Amino acid sequence: MNMKKQAAVASALVLIASGAMADEIRVLNWQGYGTDQEFALAPFTEATGHTVVHDYFNSEQEMLTKLRTNPGAYDVVLINAAFFPDVLAEDLLQPIDTSKVANFADVAPDFAANDSLNVDGSLYGVPWTWGLTSIAINSSTISETPSSINVMWDEAHKGRVSIRDDAVEAVQLAALATGQNINDIQDMDAVEAKLGALMPQIRTFWGSENDWNQFMAAGELDVASYWSGSAERSAASGLPVQFVVPDEGAIGWLDGLAVPASSENVDAAHAFINWMIDPAFYSEWNANGAPASANAAAAAALPEDAFNRKVLGDPEVAARVQFMEPVSEENREAYLEMWQALKAAQ
Amino acid sequence: MANILSQDTRRAAGLLTPAYLWLTVAIFLPLAAMLYFSFLSDVPFGPEADWYYTSENYRAFFETGTYASLLWKSIKLGLTVTVICVLLGFPCALVLAKVIQGRSREALFLLIILPFWSNSLVRIFSWAIVLRGNGVLELAVNWVLPFDIRLGLMFTPTAVVIGLVHSYLPYVILTSYLALQAIDNSLIEAARSMGAKRLTILWRIILPLSMPGLLAGAVLIFVPVVGSFMEPRILGGRFGTYYGTVIEDQFTAVFNWPLGAALSFILLAVVLVILALSSPILRNART
Amino acid sequence: MGVLGCIWLVLILVFLYAPILIMAMMSFNESQFYQLPFKFSLDWYEALASNDAIKTAAIRSVLIAIATTVIATTLGTAASIALFRYSFPGKRVLQVLLFPPIAIPWLITGTAMLIFFFGIGLGRGTPSVLIGHVALALPYVIVVVSARLATFDPTLEEAARSLGASSWTVTMRVTVPWILPGIIAGGLFAFAVSFDQFVVSYFLSEPGDATLPVLIYTSIRKGFTPEINAVSTIIIVISMAIMLLAARFSNFGGDR
Repeated sequence: MNMKKQAAVASALVLIASGAMADEIRVLNWQGYGTDQEFALAPFTEATGHTVVHDYFNSEQEMLTKLRTNPGAYDVVLINAAFFPDVLAEDLLQPIDTSKVANFADVAPDFAANDSLNVDGSLYGVPWTWGLTSIAINSSTISETPSSINVMWDEAHKGRVSIRDDAVEAVQLAALATGQNINDIQDMDAVEAKLGALMPQIRTFWGSENDWNQFMAAGELDVASYWSGSAERSAASGLPVQFVVPDEGAIGWLDGLAVPASSENVDAAHAFINWMIDPAFYSEWNANGAPASANAAAAAALPEDAFNRKVLGDPEVAARVQFMEPVSEENREAYLEMWQALKAAQ
Repeated sequence: MANILSQDTRRAAGLLTPAYLWLTVAIFLPLAAMLYFSFLSDVPFGPEADWYYTSENYRAFFETGTYASLLWKSIKLGLTVTVICVLLGFPCALVLAKVIQGRSREALFLLIILPFWSNSLVRIFSWAIVLRGNGVLELAVNWVLPFDIRLGLMFTPTAVVIGLVHSYLPYVILTSYLALQAIDNSLIEAARSMGAKRLTILWRIILPLSMPGLLAGAVLIFVPVVGSFMEPRILGGRFGTYYGTVIEDQFTAVFNWPLGAALSFILLAVVLVILALSSPILRNART
Repeated sequence: MGVLGCIWLVLILVFLYAPILIMAMMSFNESQFYQLPFKFSLDWYEALASNDAIKTAAIRSVLIAIATTVIATTLGTAASIALFRYSFPGKRVLQVLLFPPIAIPWLITGTAMLIFFFGIGLGRGTPSVLIGHVALALPYVIVVVSARLATFDPTLEEAARSLGASSWTVTMRVTVPWILPGIIAGGLFAFAVSFDQFVVSYFLSEPGDATLPVLIYTSIRKGFTPEINAVSTIIIVISMAIMLLAARFSNFGGDR
């Protein structure tokens, strides 16, 4: 509570310093992904006078489409670090003025210096959240926690496996399973063979957390690829889900908050980003199932047994994580073609 | 004669212009832009956009067998769904038009279209709840039958067909009804009084006269089903890859509008060719 | 034939309403993930009562669908009559042109509209959404109304005309009454197309102005809750009441 008050005071100071009026800021994000949490918005409006309106996207490609065809429509946009080059290539973002984001000082240095977010000495996105793409098991049908990603290829789970219908994610998981660097895959044939062997194991592909939860709740699956924050949320809602970081490692990702070049409410946008990386906001979000915070102070403020502190904060786990770098459009299309051919052969 | 023709044309233009002007602004011109994109190597956005004219997006269709085999799979799906819808829906329309009398007919007419007013995504997920293992259907069947039965319908091509038939059945029922209801009952009575058998009446009078409605319904089913992607994705499981899902991927998984557009226009061309080829056969069937 | 036929009709209705009933049932089920067995609960209706976003979106969707229905049905009927009554050069082309909007997946058409409207400076907003919805509904209206017109005997028009009726009178007093069931069916389809249309609304509505399908489509990533079932159930029940009332007091089925 105290922290929240502090944050409110800090934001109010920013507000006064910049002499800004109450603005309406428009945020472009996935639905239900932090920025539209009821508990965060009301106090933000109270503290700063700015109101927040949301628009949503359902894929990074749609986000890009919306950004480029709606100049001036958005003030804050959530972008995955791996997609920053695509957005920056079209000059769609403006540099972040870190002096207006007081909480930026607490952002973990590794994230703050991320190559995808920093171009020519300017920061274009404030690291906000991060997490892992790995596997989650149905703890009501698998009693012993597997240590290897190869559990997905195990005959015992034939017809009870699922992965996301996403070419890049599928290829990178197969790269992990074949012991390769996900950002520099040398042996694509091995990846293709590995995915080909996975196909008969699969019950269905999932596309969204909604699918995932429903299929798991209906008892259709034993093991499926999943995101760490989502696994937390599913478990919190009572599903028998356990997130696993296997020996082969996991895919790490980082989400940043950015300000479009065409934004006209730049100060309010910065104030909102500052609010979003505040530890007070994060603690409350984490209680409802959230990805890990890129803010070191926020992570440290979590209870000791919190998944995002206990597992993701574990140096042993961190050593196994391969952070996802931007994938060239060329590779993306090649992965998709291979993935479609594999699926079409079913 | 020429004068009458031009008067016809003028009158027709008056009635047609609002609708087709609307379609031009909202559909034809945007699709023309897409058609243009389908001949580019990359979308022409951004300050450093790098693109050139090419036919490689259309060639891609022929270079791997994937797209052609998926299109064939989708056409078969379209035919299956259309035939099932016609077989289920036409008798239903016949009963509605010729057996049911009075006001209950209007009520039933409306009841048939009402399920259409629900959201398709919600509808598809409801089917998932019905079809999945331990879902409503299996529970119901096992409640009736004494022994344990596993239907295993979910995540199969059958589930896709069930979902699509449900989504498109009202089209063929209503268009057939519109034509059947217009058939003069005295015509049927006259045939009957002359000793024509029921089957003969159906085959020689009812079917030919209701053919325009039946065909309109069939076309309204076949055409969109070939490009469908939502039902296959959610209900088809690992068998749910169809031509429509591959097109969708070009817009949501990668930023390849040119290829997605080219695949769409190939779909359009193939569908139009199928309709053109089948129209003389169907016209012959009418007479 | 009568009894068997009625049984068939009932079976078809059961098939058509099965998922609708499940949808309604799940709005009264406790589980957030649509789990069985069924446990009765009114939680989702309570949640809906305080969820302004869903309520506003639902009302917006209904209003847009009504406007779409009125415009598309009017324009579509006029076009159908012209295509039926007159012969003129290029008629076949106009008929074939109805297929692209039906055949090309909405995602592609929607994306095309977005970039085109952006290009000509029309931008986003409710007018753009309405333009898109009407355009997508028009081909359905024209095909359905034309199916009914195909059963119309043109000599009726000629007879009326020979009695001195003007072209407008002939249309309104002879043609339209005959094709009324087709017009109503076309209108019902237009409503359905608009009410279920998410791509166009998704790309063309202003931020914060989401329609119900957009809300459902975007919430799928995190997972939609049975609140969606609750609002869908309420909409279906209200529409059913309105429709049955309309059927009670009208005779558009064209008894003959």
